[in-house]
Amino acid sequence: MSALPNRALIRTQPRRSDAGLSTSHLGRGLTVTGNLETEGELRVHGKVLGQIRANRLVIEKGGAVEGDMVARDAHIGGRLNGRVFAVNVTIDASADVRGRIFHTTVSVASGARIDGRMPWRPVNYFETLETLPETQP
Amino acid sequence: MTMFTRSDKEPVPKPVATSPSPAPVPAQAPVEARRAPAPAMPGQASSVSVISKALKITGQLESTEDIQIEGEVEGDVRAASVKVGTNARIKGTVYGDEVELSGKVDGKIEARKVVLTSTAHMSGDVIHQDLRIDSGAHVDGHCRPEFGKPDGRAHAIQKPATGATATPLKPN
Repeated sequence: MSALPNRALIRTQPRRSDAGLSTSHLGRGLTVTGNLETEGELRVHGKVLGQIRANRLVIEKGGAVEGDMVARDAHIGGRLNGRVFAVNVTIDASADVRGRIFHTTVSVASGARIDGRMPWRPVNYFETLETLPETQP
Repeated sequence: MTMFTRSDKEPVPKPVATSPSPAPVPAQAPVEARRAPAPAMPGQASSVSVISKALKITGQLESTEDIQIEGEVEGDVRAASVKVGTNARIKGTVYGDEVELSGKVDGKIEARKVVLTSTAHMSGDVIHQDLRIDSGAHVDGHCRPEFGKPDGRAHAIQKPATGATATPLKPN
């Protein structure tokens, strides 16, 4: 497991050192235009236009993301327009998702709005994921 | 069988319930302790943004509220108040009402109130109205007290522009 390719976008096995890694918050009034990358946790209350890569990603209710997101655990309670690549996906009742959700496990709360396909992928798909695939029509 | 009987007995006699409980408590405690800071912080931080040391942003940040940066930003930052932590690095311009720098900025700071602490490393100009530099700070660039002052060049362009529209009208 430790012999994972370095360039893999997702580390499916959490490292011991990840446990203490810090959490980032993007506040309600914040808009980020660009790419975000973290080995820790990211909580989005604000708005992101761009790609996000995190170990654990939470889009809070009221948060909005326009772009692809890659994470080991993705928790969506806000708006998303883009693709999700995550091993474990949780979608809250307050979510409004438009786009494909690539997952190994997924849970969707009653009330969530999802417009898009939800393709299943095995865990090793995410382990070997180095670049995001182009969207097919 | 044993599990069923134990769970049935647990709620009824109290001494039985307390004796198995010490075993699961230490196992659950670290999980709760690890999760505790996460829900505690968003309450505080729903308005304050925290860019942790593990986060790298390539692009612009714009906020109507405060930002605390401990990580790495390649791009401009614009907020009401910006705090740049000791190990933070920014490549770009930091705009704000108040900017406190303890980390490294490679670019420019434009703010009403600027504080460069003893660990600050500033490469580039500082445009301010109120500036404090602590002993130990590294500053390489111009410090100009021009924040909020109308740019002389912009002023010069505006005046002839109004005059230019007025003069052609007269001969016509």
